[in-house]
Amino acid sequence: MLEIKNLHVKLEDEAREILKGLTLSVKPGEVHAIMGPNGSGKSTLSYVLSGREGYEVTEGSVTFKGEDLLAMEASQRAAKGVFLAFQYPIEIPGVATMQFLKVALNAQRKARGQKEMTAPEFMRHVKERAAKLNISQDMLKRPVNVGFSGGEKKRAEILQMAVLEPSLCVLDETDSGLDIDALRVVADGVNALRSPDRAMIVITHYQRLLDYIVPDKVHVLSDGKIVKTGGKELALELEANGYADFVGKAA
Amino acid sequence: MTSVVSQIPQIQLTDAEKALGISLPSRRLEEWKWTDLRRMITTAYGSQKVTAKDADVERLLKASPFSALHLKRIVFINGVHDADRSQVKVAVAKPSAALATDEIVALGSRLQATGVSLSLEGNADTPIEIIHVTTDGPARAQAVRHVVEVADGSSATIVETFVGEGDYLTTAVIDLTVGEGARLDHIKVEHEAPKATHLGHAIVSLAANSVLREFTLTSGSALNRQNGTYTFTGEGADAKVAGAYLLNGKQHADTRLVVDHAVPRCTSRELFKVVMDGNARGIFQGKVVVRPDAQKTDGKQSSHALLLSETAEFDAKPELEIYADDVVCGHGATSGDLNHDHMFYLKSRGIPESEAKSLLIAAFVGEAIETVEHEGIREALSNYAKGWLSRR
Repeated sequence: MLEIKNLHVKLEDEAREILKGLTLSVKPGEVHAIMGPNGSGKSTLSYVLSGREGYEVTEGSVTFKGEDLLAMEASQRAAKGVFLAFQYPIEIPGVATMQFLKVALNAQRKARGQKEMTAPEFMRHVKERAAKLNISQDMLKRPVNVGFSGGEKKRAEILQMAVLEPSLCVLDETDSGLDIDALRVVADGVNALRSPDRAMIVITHYQRLLDYIVPDKVHVLSDGKIVKTGGKELALELEANGYADFVGKAA
Repeated sequence: MTSVVSQIPQIQLTDAEKALGISLPSRRLEEWKWTDLRRMITTAYGSQKVTAKDADVERLLKASPFSALHLKRIVFINGVHDADRSQVKVAVAKPSAALATDEIVALGSRLQATGVSLSLEGNADTPIEIIHVTTDGPARAQAVRHVVEVADGSSATIVETFVGEGDYLTTAVIDLTVGEGARLDHIKVEHEAPKATHLGHAIVSLAANSVLREFTLTSGSALNRQNGTYTFTGEGADAKVAGAYLLNGKQHADTRLVVDHAVPRCTSRELFKVVMDGNARGIFQGKVVVRPDAQKTDGKQSSHALLLSETAEFDAKPELEIYADDVVCGHGATSGDLNHDHMFYLKSRGIPESEAKSLLIAAFVGEAIETVEHEGIREALSNYAKGWLSRR
């Protein structure tokens, strides 16, 4: 589904490379965890995949469902099925959450040549999913993320994911700022979306999230490259020994 | 023939000034420094009356954003009251020239302004729309001046709409008196012809415990200047003055508000949202005066501009003159382009660039439109803004 080959990325206005030859292959149905210390390039990877401006790919390729992902604009990538759950979801004053979801869903459907959802269809579609995530009608009426608590913002991200039904979910530090109860709700929401034709990349600093969202593969990202790949037990090893073993030069 | 050379250096009237029969304010006057009418008005406007064709009038009446709403209409065509098309019987008068308070009022008087005189009592459910239609014809100047009084304890909604075609100049003055404990909702839409000049002044007097909710949409004309004077004459009154500009091309709009807190315990709020594209120029000048006796005054103003092009320009000039010591007053002005984080967030959810932009611009203007209480009018204003965005 996703093939990242020898990806080199830098910021447009800086010479320093952030990703230095990252290679990763993700198949449908798989959940991959990417772990690494601060500054290893985790968030950069999520932004490059989702099409944020300001990054320059100097070498390598990203292929998604056989197409060149890097050639697509952010909204096209979303319509193709890429979804980024933000580490810090953005507040958008003046745009009601419900309206935002509807515009987004129908824009994607339109881009895929599908019929737009009618208002009643859409209401049902959202309500079912919101209930599972303890998201109230009141929250849906409020402007996107405005005045939401940290936990509410993360739940709202997962709701967007559930509503838009992407085929590749990238979760960027979804566990940050969550207490254990909120983490459980979010993880349940993510697990409910696991399916044979949907892949997930879970980016996290801590092993904690992976107790709830159990990955098929764990990768250690250090200094812009994947330095080790293993099964879910690798996360436990990291938890016990820290990243020092893999951040070679520092050790 | 000999020519007389004056000893005193005199400013020669421009052709436009000669045609209007009055000198126009120039940038030498601080209040007019961004809007030099002397230099900017170059057309020699005549004063001939033009007879409108029915088809033109009908088409233009439909151009009001409120044409589908159930409102009581008072119609002015080419500056003249049209009793047949109006649904409210009104007295039409020429207000006394002694009331001239600024250059716009003076020009209106010079142009023989006429207007309706409304005394409103009780609680009217249906808003009154005074709609001003200007049909295409020779370049000409025209003027209206309306007088509206809301009696003590009464409430009313007054809408002023300006639509037109061709090249013309309109001065539009409205005197609004809000009685004790009364409430007035005043909505104005300036959707004049693209070549037109619109000069307006709202002169508002607020008695004790009265409420004013005002919203002005500025979008149509090439050149727009609107003054607003708000005087609190009794304690405990509350005025919210909001506005939005939707400007493009070389449009120029300048609003100057003066809020005079002459008595204690009054509240004033000003909120202007400015959206500009192309080479448009927007100005917001807000002056708040708090007189020595006006303790417990609460006055705030803010103006925010969203610049969609590198060549659009916004100037804000807040002025606070405070002579009382127990007051809360503040002002804020911002100007910038669309927030890149907001744009990326929307695009990352599949919303294409142009749609994401429209959504954010509508939300930006929406904050000012939201202050309009009447649901139908508020929705019509939102739809107008959406229409502007899609034509942009």
